[in-house]
Amino acid sequence: MMRMPVTAVLRKVSRVPAVNNARICAFSSAAPEKVEVFIDDKPVMVEPGTTVLQAAALAGVEIPRFCYHERLSIAGNCRMCLVEVEKSLKPVASCAMPVMKGMRVKTNSEFTRKAREGVMEFLLVNHPLDCPICDQGGECDLQDQSMTFGSDRSRFTDINFSGKRAVEDKNVGPLIKTIMTRCIHCTRCIRFASEVAGVDDFGTTGRGQDMQVGTYVEKMLMSEMSGNIIDLCPVGALTSKPYAFMARPWETRKTESIDVLDAIGSNIVVSTRTGEVLRVIPRQNDDVNEEWISDKSRFAVDGLKRQRLTVPLLKNSSGQLEQVEWEDALVRVAQALRSGKGNQVGAIAGGLVDAEALTALKDVLNRLDSELLCTEEIFPLDGSGTDLRSNYLLNSKIAGIEEADMVLLIGTNPRFEAPLLNTRLRKSWINNDLKVAMIGPKVDLTYEYEHLGDSPNVIDAVINGKDAFSKTLNSAKKPIIIVGSTALQRSDAAVILSKIQKLSSSLRAKGQIPSDWRVLNVLHRVASQVAALDIGYSAGAQKIRDAKPKVLFMLGADEGVISRSDLAKDCFVIYQGHHGDRGAEIADAVLPGAAYTEKQATYVNTEGRSQQTTSAVNPPGMAREDWKIIRALSEIMGITLPYDDLHEIRKRMNEISPNLTRYGDAEDANYFAQATELGNLINKPADSSPFNVPMKQLEDFYMTDAISRASPTMAKCIQAVKKQRESKY
Amino acid sequence: MSFLGLDKVGKLFTIIRANGGVLKSLRKLYIYDDLKLGTLVGTDKYGNKYFENNEYFYGRNRWVEYNEKVGIDYDGSMIPAEWYGWMHYKTDMPPTKSPPVAYKWLEPHRENLSGTPEQYVPYTTTPPKIQSWVPPKPKK
Repeated sequence: MMRMPVTAVLRKVSRVPAVNNARICAFSSAAPEKVEVFIDDKPVMVEPGTTVLQAAALAGVEIPRFCYHERLSIAGNCRMCLVEVEKSLKPVASCAMPVMKGMRVKTNSEFTRKAREGVMEFLLVNHPLDCPICDQGGECDLQDQSMTFGSDRSRFTDINFSGKRAVEDKNVGPLIKTIMTRCIHCTRCIRFASEVAGVDDFGTTGRGQDMQVGTYVEKMLMSEMSGNIIDLCPVGALTSKPYAFMARPWETRKTESIDVLDAIGSNIVVSTRTGEVLRVIPRQNDDVNEEWISDKSRFAVDGLKRQRLTVPLLKNSSGQLEQVEWEDALVRVAQALRSGKGNQVGAIAGGLVDAEALTALKDVLNRLDSELLCTEEIFPLDGSGTDLRSNYLLNSKIAGIEEADMVLLIGTNPRFEAPLLNTRLRKSWINNDLKVAMIGPKVDLTYEYEHLGDSPNVIDAVINGKDAFSKTLNSAKKPIIIVGSTALQRSDAAVILSKIQKLSSSLRAKGQIPSDWRVLNVLHRVASQVAALDIGYSAGAQKIRDAKPKVLFMLGADEGVISRSDLAKDCFVIYQGHHGDRGAEIADAVLPGAAYTEKQATYVNTEGRSQQTTSAVNPPGMAREDWKIIRALSEIMGITLPYDDLHEIRKRMNEISPNLTRYGDAEDANYFAQATELGNLINKPADSSPFNVPMKQLEDFYMTDAISRASPTMAKCIQAVKKQRESKY
Repeated sequence: MSFLGLDKVGKLFTIIRANGGVLKSLRKLYIYDDLKLGTLVGTDKYGNKYFENNEYFYGRNRWVEYNEKVGIDYDGSMIPAEWYGWMHYKTDMPPTKSPPVAYKWLEPHRENLSGTPEQYVPYTTTPPKIQSWVPPKPKK
């Protein structure tokens, strides 16, 4: 079971439905009759094919389990979920047994309890008694279940320590610590790696007492999703290396928040203790990240403790940035902003900025009669540009991918630009027979796809039907085109976007697509872009390069898009942000802001779903929440912004764009036809140079923003991946 | 004489004379709030003078006059260890009579520096939780 080829997994998964709830609904159109089963004499109506364990869950009875996981295939090898079924001589593994009509399941009978106690005893015989030094202590399934379902006395008599099983630890990279003696062989990590992460590196060797989970040869687990096996491991065999021996779960404070290191906006829980972020773990949200997060989201948080801006800084006469009081800094900055008129004052926003700060900064600059507000990330402004929301959103939503039957990726590498979108694609590829095609550089997406070429001319060929692929695309009932924002960073981005608009509307014109189905999708790379475009920033820094403003306000702009040589010689550069990176280096004044774990702020993900972070810790030192700094600045400048607290600034955001404050919702955007018409007005030839993506390989994935660049763990990952590439395995 | 208390006046003059005249007596009175008559028992290497007069009651019969250079900035901790015992009645033998053994490893006496710029200030030895960014030096 462990190492079967993908096709076998495919067959297996389709044989055992009920893994994916969304799809059950899709298939249930045939409306098979429901079956009645009795869980502890309580009747429940369930779909045929449901397992006993799921039926019990519907009846409100939780059956103990180790190997079963809702989002993974069924293994049935831990035997913890044994239950008594009437008229069955032997106890039944409820996770793998489909229900039958009139089945009577006893989940709490003497027989069931004895079976569980026996299984638990066998598991504990070969499990070390090292809970006091185990990182899983307090959140360990084995610990909890042995308390609840285990026997109350021990028959373990080997006091001479002669026979307990011991297994050598494996080195699987700088993120995951393995203590393999603790492993109970549930194979969740193996199934996750091969099914969700798409890296077939894990497996088992040996059998019985000698069975070992590992990578066969010493090898790093080369996946951008590898951290999730830490959460999946029911015992302490796989734990987090950076978090090793840091804290116990009952000591930490958990804050529900949002990840901002990519444009997906994964839901996370931030664990903190004594004002320090210790770790990030995923939070379930089926619309966005299911229950996974990428390694960058999980492990880059130690970058929040390095290279931080903790005090306001001003350049002194010798050109050195020096620590000053907030008042001095704000007065100097206000004076500088006041000195420019109209478009002599510009602002550029980076990728980690929240919507509140963007709103406040735009209000300040608008009051100075300036409209020179840009984002670092480029998006074509010709045609309908960013005027129509549908142009720059992932319109069919992340969960919508599970309904699609055909995905065309253009100039993007979703595996590293949005790992959670890629796991959705892979999930659909496995479960729904999704076909994937790609125009762009050939990269490893962990699943098979049809590579159509890497030149923009291929899009023309597909539109005109000259490419063999266009037939497949035209026959699709629910096609999705995902264009990466990396493909739109080129000089001919507007032409490319209008071509893709044309392609998607020609697909719609075929008439076999449901009217509410959205074809065109844009996948962004940074968390702030959609909010910035919603608020009215213009995408790309070209306007600033043309205008050469006298004063430039950089709001978290760290990608080095604007350098000193792009600006007038005497330009006064203000940097506001949380990390000392490329932005702060060229600044004349630095205002320390808060990072995403330190403020309650709004972020809009690539679907257009607004979500808010909550503050888990205080901003370090003198740093303050970003919008509050701008609000204080406006008061010193004499143009006080009319909002004093979070509630009031959100009211203002609601005036600008109501979707910004509808948390959790991704509102649909429309006007595709109009966007296409406006796109037709662009009469420029496309550049035939091939698409390129900045993140091609795993080592490119780890450091992409100010936070992950400051993270020592991410640096270790890059080194480990490079070392692994040199290895012969 | 003693009935009228005139012997006290005579004593005053003796004390003033022993302390080196009216002006010097006023200065001592200003510095120590006290003017005493006693025999000089010894002087330490820092110039502090130690006196004894057993006519005063126990606890007042031994005293120190600090080096004149320190003026009113004197402190009990200026008394070195060898005189400490005599001053605090731990012993009746002043170091002038039984000098302490001069071990090589003995540190020279230091007074308490609290309240001065050289005072000891406790500092944390744990690394800071947040590492601040250090701005780079400007390129010349």
